[in-house]
Amino acid sequence: MSAVAAKPQAGGAMNPTAMAVGVVLLIIILGACWVVSPNLGLMALIGIIIGGVLIGFGTHFVPVGGAPAAMGQAPGIATGVAMLAAGAGLAGLFGGAWAAEQGMVVAVVTGGIGGGLMMAITCLMVNFVYVFGMGIPAASGKVLHDPITGDSQAEYKSQGTEGHGLPFVSFVGGVIGGILGGAGGTLIYLELLGLYEATFPTMMNATAAQVLPVAVSVAGMFAVALFLVNAVLTAYNITGTIEGPHDPKFKRWPRAIVASAVASALCGFVAILIVAM
Amino acid sequence: MSVKVEVIEGGVPHNKIMIAGLVSTLVCIYLTYLNAFTNTEMFSFFGGLAVVSALIWGSHTIKVLCSYGIGTGVPSAGMIAFGSGVIAMLLATKFGMLAPIVALVLAAVIGFILGYVSNNILNMKIPAMVQALTEMAVVGALTVMGFAALITGGFSFVGLTTSKAVFMGLPMTSYGNSFLGGGLIAVAFLLGAIAIQHPFNACLGPGWKQDRMLMLTAECGFLSMIVAAVMSFALISAGSAIISLIIALIGWFYTYSQYFVLSKRDAAAWLDSKPIPDTEGH
Repeated sequence: MSAVAAKPQAGGAMNPTAMAVGVVLLIIILGACWVVSPNLGLMALIGIIIGGVLIGFGTHFVPVGGAPAAMGQAPGIATGVAMLAAGAGLAGLFGGAWAAEQGMVVAVVTGGIGGGLMMAITCLMVNFVYVFGMGIPAASGKVLHDPITGDSQAEYKSQGTEGHGLPFVSFVGGVIGGILGGAGGTLIYLELLGLYEATFPTMMNATAAQVLPVAVSVAGMFAVALFLVNAVLTAYNITGTIEGPHDPKFKRWPRAIVASAVASALCGFVAILIVAM
Repeated sequence: MSVKVEVIEGGVPHNKIMIAGLVSTLVCIYLTYLNAFTNTEMFSFFGGLAVVSALIWGSHTIKVLCSYGIGTGVPSAGMIAFGSGVIAMLLATKFGMLAPIVALVLAAVIGFILGYVSNNILNMKIPAMVQALTEMAVVGALTVMGFAALITGGFSFVGLTTSKAVFMGLPMTSYGNSFLGGGLIAVAFLLGAIAIQHPFNACLGPGWKQDRMLMLTAECGFLSMIVAAVMSFALISAGSAIISLIIALIGWFYTYSQYFVLSKRDAAAWLDSKPIPDTEGH
């Protein structure tokens, strides 16, 4: 088979056995966490899992175009999931981290706004470059009418392409994805920061003020690492590209929820073991 | 079922690279223990050499995985490698002398489960997926550990979170001025993540040659080692940092010139084109 025909064949089908194994794995990890650290650790782990699922679900909304989008042959932002997630998610994470001292709700909302803002700016500038730089209109190839505005798409789509540019629904999807990703990343950071701030002083035999830089750095690093793991797993789920919430691939999200929950639980458990052992 | 796009023609088999990479990385990381025995920091540069050998192994693993056309771009493989590896590495640093072995085992477990998740739950169905993600998590963990050894001279949790300084004649313990407290781990993370994904991303295609890609990996590794050696001036003695820096510079210069030679070898035709001659006279 030629290289052109050898597209990834990961289908939309669910694998019930694997999903069951995933859920069992999740319960085992939660149980292990309850044994090691019943109160503080388990609460943190639940927060981490929620954050990870938010990231995994949010990434489905982001219009990732990949290399075809760079050539104007497919809709979406012309780069991979890893780069987009890192950009939007980390922007949100940094925004949320600034607000960490103002309480959980304010910080998570701030993180969401940071991520959404980053994606809004990215989508706007991407469309700017597409329309005024490459001279192509925004048109989706997956739907006949934009689900939000109702605008007809087919007339604007060039022959031989899957669409191009960022239609309105993709733009909205990108912002929603940024909000969910930023909020999820911030939630992971806050949970870990709270845990480390509470346990590092006794573990390292120092005052809370002294260990604060270490706690911030380790929590931030873990948040980044969990973010990347969840984003890449979602990228595997959508096999690299997606147009936004109207894309048929979006229906695969239940798989990503289970995958993100297992991956976040596993990585979060290891992060909790640092202070629980 | 995915179809493999490229096949490895000739060259060293992957298992051989994996075993050689694993053994040399572990040996180099353990050689930084000479610091503790001799009570100096002169042997920190072995951490950098561990980074280079781990990256060579890792970039070949990425080649094995991404040959199947996973559709997400090569950089994503580097990101998940380090995302899962750094978590295992940080927990492993608490085990003292056993840290590299614990990092190896823990990262392998995390990578195996992530491989199962992506192959079965996410239905990727790529034959090399589980093994490749397992290997890459190990590579990520050992690379960050190598950077830690290079920058701080050791890889114990206490050593990574504190540094001793003398302030107005009194010995002080600083937490902010350390590998973890100062955030140097974030730089190490991305130095490694970029160095592991770049070589295959740059060399893939019909003209892919194993030795050229691996030479580029070594070049990227030494380039990262230069940056890490500069950062190590903050945490280890200047003389030791200069040793690391010189070794990194020599290694980078050698591998870069070798990569240049290999690139010329593989180019269809290499012409030393002169600048456009300005003979028209207008």
